Amino acid sequence: MTPAALLLQDAAAMAQAVRSGAVSAVALVQASLERIAATDARVNAFTDVVRERALRRARQVDASLASEHGVRTRELPLLGVPFAVKNLFDIAGLPTLAGSKIEREREPARSDATLVRRLESAGAVLVGALNMDEYAYGFTTENSHVGATHNPHDLDRIAGGSSGGSGAAVAAGQVPLALGSDTNGSIRVPASLNGVFGLKPTFGRLPRTGSYPFVSSLDHLGPFARTARDLALAYDAMQGPERLAPRDPGCAQRPVEAVVTSLSRGVQGLRIGVLGGWFRQRALPEALAAVDAVAVALGAVRTVELPMVEAGRAAAFLITNAEGAALHLDDLRRRPQDFEPLSRDRFLAGALLPAAWVARAQRVRRLYAQQVARVFERFDILLAAATPCAATPIGAEWIEFNGQRLPLRANMGVLTQPISCVGLPVCAVPVWGAHARLPIGVQVIGAPWREDLVLRVAAALESAGVVQAPVARLG
Amino acid sequence: MTPKQIEAFVDAAAAALDLRLQPDHRAGVLRYFALADEFAAIVEAVPLGLHDETAVHFSPVPPSELRE
Repeated sequence: MTPAALLLQDAAAMAQAVRSGAVSAVALVQASLERIAATDARVNAFTDVVRERALRRARQVDASLASEHGVRTRELPLLGVPFAVKNLFDIAGLPTLAGSKIEREREPARSDATLVRRLESAGAVLVGALNMDEYAYGFTTENSHVGATHNPHDLDRIAGGSSGGSGAAVAAGQVPLALGSDTNGSIRVPASLNGVFGLKPTFGRLPRTGSYPFVSSLDHLGPFARTARDLALAYDAMQGPERLAPRDPGCAQRPVEAVVTSLSRGVQGLRIGVLGGWFRQRALPEALAAVDAVAVALGAVRTVELPMVEAGRAAAFLITNAEGAALHLDDLRRRPQDFEPLSRDRFLAGALLPAAWVARAQRVRRLYAQQVARVFERFDILLAAATPCAATPIGAEWIEFNGQRLPLRANMGVLTQPISCVGLPVCAVPVWGAHARLPIGVQVIGAPWREDLVLRVAAALESAGVVQAPVARLG
Repeated sequence: MTPKQIEAFVDAAAAALDLRLQPDHRAGVLRYFALADEFAAIVEAVPLGLHDETAVHFSPVPPSELRE
């Protein structure tokens, strides 16, 4: 198999090919760089390509394999696998943009983000940084500074956001693995619209050290991939406590709880429910069909409603709006004209919210989390659509639910926001056939710290052929 | 809040924070503040007791952490 053909397989197959000597890490990384060069003028997923760094690192991997350390190197789970990260992760030598114009003036990062280092320690090779909504405040990656990221399955449509570059790069076959962040849905929304797998771990699971914050109270980091197994490989490589300061104060610093070994255990015995009410009322037919297809495949017949879901979503909105804006107050005062026009006024309004609203929202959030925990006494897994619809045309402003016309950009996260508000682990799985020609994702939701279960369910659905993430036909 | 109350609050809070709203930003700010006000009403409607605590937690920082 040529390196270019191998690049369209999954990361596990790539690592195995490098391990066996069938391909070198340099050849594989070169194939990734060539595909980015050939396709990114159309997709616009990348904002930086670190070509020299990537080739240097790949040469180190190949040299290590040939050295006396070769036996240990061969054990690395992501050996030679190219990956890319949302441009809010620190990359040594580059300014951390977080999708903005303002941050271009900042000093370059001195070191890599913790998760970048952990993936490279597992043998992976960073090839670049990816487009996103400015400061992660959006669901469409229509970035006015560098242009919109285009959905590889239909270039006239959005890639979702805010980690739109991450979802698109994986769907376009530029890399098999990418990292993103998710505050209110920013991994699950682009995973849904680009037809790839995305994992938002439990809040506090993965350390955020070296990443640009949006809303510290709600920010999560996680991987995108084209198989559940690749998600698990990357997730396991990124777990574990931070040994040294600075540590992420929002990270629970839990020991590694590996999931790769339990992926194939199947779904027998799991109590699986389908979220109704809010989650059915705000979903278009393709979203409902996707959930129903997954539910049928899993034998899930019980519908359950999350109590306080509307209050939970409202709390997440207020916390996001206030905390996100407060972080940028100095720049909002001095240079509001340099902000993304699509989110600037929302930031400005957020800076003005009364403290009492936000303090109450944090108390409501905790009460809501307790109510949700009661649901997980009866269920192991809950299912809901990841987005209310499949990818919409770039520039679209409105979406209609049950005759009600609502702003599209805010409502693309209406099904994800109530879930991340209480930090539950979710694997977004890609369903084809629910929409005439586009993918749409389903959230496989677990109780806190049960990433093992959401990934097991995702792997079972993949084995059954119910979900899949083909590379887009970009030519 | 009524639209007039929102306008008065936004202008007063912006002045207190030295946040000078430009004329072409003001309408959008008022619209988003009104949206936040709707969400605040939903949150306000949830009955909370004295012991319904915040989801925010603080971890003390020991001096040893500074030396790592």
